Amino acid sequence: MIGFDAIVSSFAAALHYESIAIILGGVLLGYIVGVIPGLNRAVAIAIAIPLTFYMSAYAAIAFLIGLSKGTAAGSAVSAILLNTPGEPSSAATCLDGFPMARAGKPRKALKVGLLASVVGDLLATLLLIAVAIPFASVALKFGPYELAAILIFALVFIAGMAGGSFLKGLAAGGMGVILGTVGLDPETGAARLTFGYAELMEGVPILPLVIGTLALAEMFVQLDEYRRNKGASVIKLSHDKADDLSFKEFKATLPTVFKSTGIGAFVGALPGLGPSVGAFMAYGLAKRSAKDPDSFGKGNPNGIAAAEAADNAVIPASYIPLFGLGIPGSVSAALLVGAFMIHGIQVGPLMLRDHPEMLFTLFSGMIVASLLMLAVGWYGLRIFAKVTSVPPHIVIPVVIFLCLAGIQVQGYGTFGLVTVFAFAIFGYFLKKFDYSFVTFLVAFIVTPMLEMNLRQAVILSGGDIAILLNRPIALAFVVFTALMALHLSWSGYRQWRQKRLKASGN
Amino acid sequence: MSENPIPLRMNFWSGLGVAALAVLLLAWVIPHYGGRGFAVGMHPRTLATLGAWVMLGCALALALLSAIALMRQRLPFFRLPEFGHLWHQTWPFLFVLFFIVLVDRFPLTWVAPFMIGSLLLLLGERRWHVVLLTAVIPAIGLYGLTAHLMRIGVV
Repeated sequence: MIGFDAIVSSFAAALHYESIAIILGGVLLGYIVGVIPGLNRAVAIAIAIPLTFYMSAYAAIAFLIGLSKGTAAGSAVSAILLNTPGEPSSAATCLDGFPMARAGKPRKALKVGLLASVVGDLLATLLLIAVAIPFASVALKFGPYELAAILIFALVFIAGMAGGSFLKGLAAGGMGVILGTVGLDPETGAARLTFGYAELMEGVPILPLVIGTLALAEMFVQLDEYRRNKGASVIKLSHDKADDLSFKEFKATLPTVFKSTGIGAFVGALPGLGPSVGAFMAYGLAKRSAKDPDSFGKGNPNGIAAAEAADNAVIPASYIPLFGLGIPGSVSAALLVGAFMIHGIQVGPLMLRDHPEMLFTLFSGMIVASLLMLAVGWYGLRIFAKVTSVPPHIVIPVVIFLCLAGIQVQGYGTFGLVTVFAFAIFGYFLKKFDYSFVTFLVAFIVTPMLEMNLRQAVILSGGDIAILLNRPIALAFVVFTALMALHLSWSGYRQWRQKRLKASGN
Repeated sequence: MSENPIPLRMNFWSGLGVAALAVLLLAWVIPHYGGRGFAVGMHPRTLATLGAWVMLGCALALALLSAIALMRQRLPFFRLPEFGHLWHQTWPFLFVLFFIVLVDRFPLTWVAPFMIGSLLLLLGERRWHVVLLTAVIPAIGLYGLTAHLMRIGVV
């Protein structure tokens, strides 16, 4: 059990001015990225990872977590003022945010969004701290059977829940597993799928993979969409006193904020669902439980509060399976695993045993990031409102440059540039054909851990599958996985049949 | 109302493409390059093979279901995209590839202003000061970062 002294010293470390400066930098950068339509959290983290190479492990992760939180809060600004969500998860914010801003209350809408974001984020962070440590303590007692079964369950769950088709999700997971096995086999030392390239001996380099599939591919998609979405107009902020948010008005949104935070935290804790699901679920519930559901979609502040609180609660909650079990449940969590790996730290329950002080300092840093998010959003409101006017045709070339620069600065050379380009094509097709990117990335990240645990399980059991009968947790997860796969296949088949019947009926 | 034919066709062709890739992996790539040698318990190729089988099974099911839906609705399996649309999707890749080739020969700090500037012009920006500043500032930033990293001995 963690002692009081450890908590105090972790807070002291997080409140050191250097730590605050780094987190502030992350939140600020995240806010700017979130505000600019077309740039999303994953792109921001992918591009920022090279910047963190020269930081300490704590500073790097605190910076990336600050950035991740900043993008979630910042994306509401463009959703409200431009009717274009900075992140897909802020699409629910547009529903009431833009009508409210158009009705002459843009500042009020932005402040409701900001406060709901901060409350949602802070409460979910506290939940993460309360849940992750006991979770990790239990997970430390798991052996290879349990861990292998849980990882396979998580992959199938993510493939089914990440949106789109279950078949495409599983296929993307298969691609991730294959790429995750590239490199020297840890047991035999055999080179696997390296094709003679020494650069692949340690596996597919994570930085070109994430920059290519996330950032560069996204820019190609943006270039494709640019010709269709030219000429959006931004709502300007006024100095009108009536546009200020009063405490009474904010208080009226608090019940919605608390309920939506609960939904967001629940959705976030389940791997693969993501913030969009959380935001729309919370918005739907707020609308259904409201006394005036007809006012939703016409500028109801509760609509903004619900969407933003849930959206921001998902991010910290998605770190529960990450810190508790080592399973990244979202793209940003998977990217954090990559950043941890770069700094030589294995994220997951082992952190509690090997780097407890870092874990607690990170948690403290996350609380600091939530508070900084409030300060940055509150005082930077007008500046961020101006940033929304940066046109995509300026953003896209600069981001493409940053992608190439990130690879060059890390010394990957021509191999890195070719790899990043190849993964950009791969990522473009994943996006265009709607193959689950999160399943691919999570499968790629967890494959080394899955392989190690599977291998240990096979060696320990001597290939006798009946040993699972003595491992009830592992057996339960094997059964859950089979039931989940059957359920998802059956519901997919039913949907397909319904569509077919509808088509033949017409 | 019938099902939208575009996602059906996309599912069919992407399913076939992924299935073909999985067959290639199972038949040639993994057996030849997937790793050799004696292993206690699990062979180095096992997990990759399993991944390829999952890909193959799912992709074939996807292609089959989409093919049935297309046939039932008497929709064509193949429709050539318009050349303009295809070109619009392709040119950004060729543009970046061209500059990757240039970066292989010249420093990125030299190439970057041309890359950013020319893309801005291609996307319709005509204000010279915007083109100039957007092209030059990131390159100067990269130069500054590289110089700093060299000074502290990282690069």
